[in-house]
Amino acid sequence: MKRILIVDDSFYMRTMLKNMLTDAGYEIVGEAPNGQTALELAKETNPDLITLDVILPDNTGLDVLKGIKAEQPDMKIVIVSAVGQEVIVNEALEYGALSYIVKPFSEERVLEVVKKALEE
Amino acid sequence: MKSREQEYKEIFIAEALEYYDALNRLISELEKKPQDDRVLAEIFRMLHNLKANAKAIGYLQISDVSHKLETAFGLIRNKELSFSDEVVGVLFDGIDLLGELIKNIDSERQVEIDPVLIRNLDIVVDSLSDSTVELAKVQKFSTSRNLTLSDLIYIQVKKLDHLMNLVGELIIDRDRILSLSRELDNDELKVVSSHLYRITEDLQYSVMDARLVSIGTLFNKFPRVVRDISTAEKKEVNLDLSGQDIQIDRNILQIMTDSLLHLVRNAITHGIEKPVQRSKVGKPKVGSLQLSARSDRESVIITLTDDGRGIDVGKVKRAAVDRHLVPADVADGLPDSEVYSFLFEPGFSLAKEVTEFSGRGVGLDVVKNAIDSIGGRIRIESEKGKGTSFILQLPTSIAVKGALLFEIDNIFYAIPLIHTDSVVALDKDELHEVGEVLVADIKGETVTVVYLDELLNMEESQMRLGDKTRLKGQVQNIIIVTYNNRKLGLIVDKLYRQQDIVVKPLSKPLDSIDLYGGVTLLGTGKVCLVLDVPAITKYFVNKR
Repeated sequence: MKRILIVDDSFYMRTMLKNMLTDAGYEIVGEAPNGQTALELAKETNPDLITLDVILPDNTGLDVLKGIKAEQPDMKIVIVSAVGQEVIVNEALEYGALSYIVKPFSEERVLEVVKKALEE
Repeated sequence: MKSREQEYKEIFIAEALEYYDALNRLISELEKKPQDDRVLAEIFRMLHNLKANAKAIGYLQISDVSHKLETAFGLIRNKELSFSDEVVGVLFDGIDLLGELIKNIDSERQVEIDPVLIRNLDIVVDSLSDSTVELAKVQKFSTSRNLTLSDLIYIQVKKLDHLMNLVGELIIDRDRILSLSRELDNDELKVVSSHLYRITEDLQYSVMDARLVSIGTLFNKFPRVVRDISTAEKKEVNLDLSGQDIQIDRNILQIMTDSLLHLVRNAITHGIEKPVQRSKVGKPKVGSLQLSARSDRESVIITLTDDGRGIDVGKVKRAAVDRHLVPADVADGLPDSEVYSFLFEPGFSLAKEVTEFSGRGVGLDVVKNAIDSIGGRIRIESEKGKGTSFILQLPTSIAVKGALLFEIDNIFYAIPLIHTDSVVALDKDELHEVGEVLVADIKGETVTVVYLDELLNMEESQMRLGDKTRLKGQVQNIIIVTYNNRKLGLIVDKLYRQQDIVVKPLSKPLDSIDLYGGVTLLGTGKVCLVLDVPAITKYFVNKR
């Protein structure tokens, strides 16, 4: 079972993502509501994939992305963003994020992106 | 039953109200320090989440208004819009509108959005603070502001665990006080303690209730799981769910999750046949899997039934004999229910092929251990060619258990009721020495009977469980316990009452004594050991 860490500051979003992903047979190893927790959990749980919201309370998602990549260069990270954040998403992709999901997302899109990222 | 939609809605509203409160606080802060980047970033983040969440759940008015406000604050952050008094007014109005929309999600009343406010917001967003455009006065929603807090809070399970532990401690003290009041025969104390009794009981059930979740939260994950496994196995399976609204302790459900998943995998991989085979034996092409839950007094019964090939009793017997679990001649005479018990032995498997989904070296013993750990029971019913059922009996709550109290050698013991079958009194003459054990005919069934005093108190080298002369008295009180389809009679000195007990785990170094599952404190202040029926049965089977 592939293990996924969810990083998002909204409980609602985390719940939706968690339900979609566990229904599809993934294991959610942790949920981080902020950058600090995200960095800790990434190290602690060493998941197969991280879904990362780009706007977080303490760090920006980009800082988290760089932080994780610095410690775990092979970590697979998928960006979760909203419309209007194309600049940040592009930057994230440059820093090694594999793909992105735009909120509001459909279950199909989430599963497709996650599946593809895990296969890479 | 709380559907997932309902759950999403509740979460959305609770979180949205939090954002609304925080936005009001932050925007007031911003008024004092208009260029505080940290505050701006927070406001921006919350509006952003509100917009995305509202869009996801389909509250388009909320997402629209949040979007406009988000854009406005984005402009302020980029210094393209100044945080002037007029603008502040419009933004406050916008946030008020958001609050109004959020609070009215559940009400019949449609919130009427003042078009002037929307126009003002659009002006702020579009005109880049062109001061020549007049911002019109907006009609307020209500003259008096109501302060409302969310009706829903989120709580970490570990906090509930802590609360449950405290209730457990309280119950022990309560029973002690109740017993003291009787000993002292003090009427005033009796009144107070009986009141205390009712309150703690109420408290106990309230805390237990707070920890309950509907079984649907787990069951509803299975349609997808079944689809995936059956596709991989090239089988067609129809899953029927029932009893999703039955309530069970969250931690128990958590512990059972992997076990149920395992059983479902097994049922599809090893139980249900491929469509071609099914057609050949005259079964419908599509296999059927039923997952149901129902309440039975203090327990929840979960049943998983497939209409697959069933369990081949002969095969299980041969495998059990091959593994020296039972001599061949004994195996022949065993009833099916006892034969199925072998399936729960560690490492016991009939499966030859290992597939992606099943048979990764995890046997039914893991399922059994999980169920044992929460004091539940599991049994199998099966008919060759017709299908198999796994019946799981789980406690509704972990901390408090119904137990039967008894005495041996002036020491109190308890047995969890979930493992007790019945209580009988037999004359010594009705017990027969067979080999190294005693047996008795109980309701037409031959049951092995163990003298607990001998088992618990005698040195292993001197233990003679098959020796009737060790018994005290003529009439023997016997508690019949069942574990893994095996019945075992336990001879005790004296039977007491049934009572709810709070089991505490044994602490080091006693935790390695595996005949006891824990300890409890009786009202009299006496320590009472709680027998671990699974362990005793296993120990006894090893003896045999």
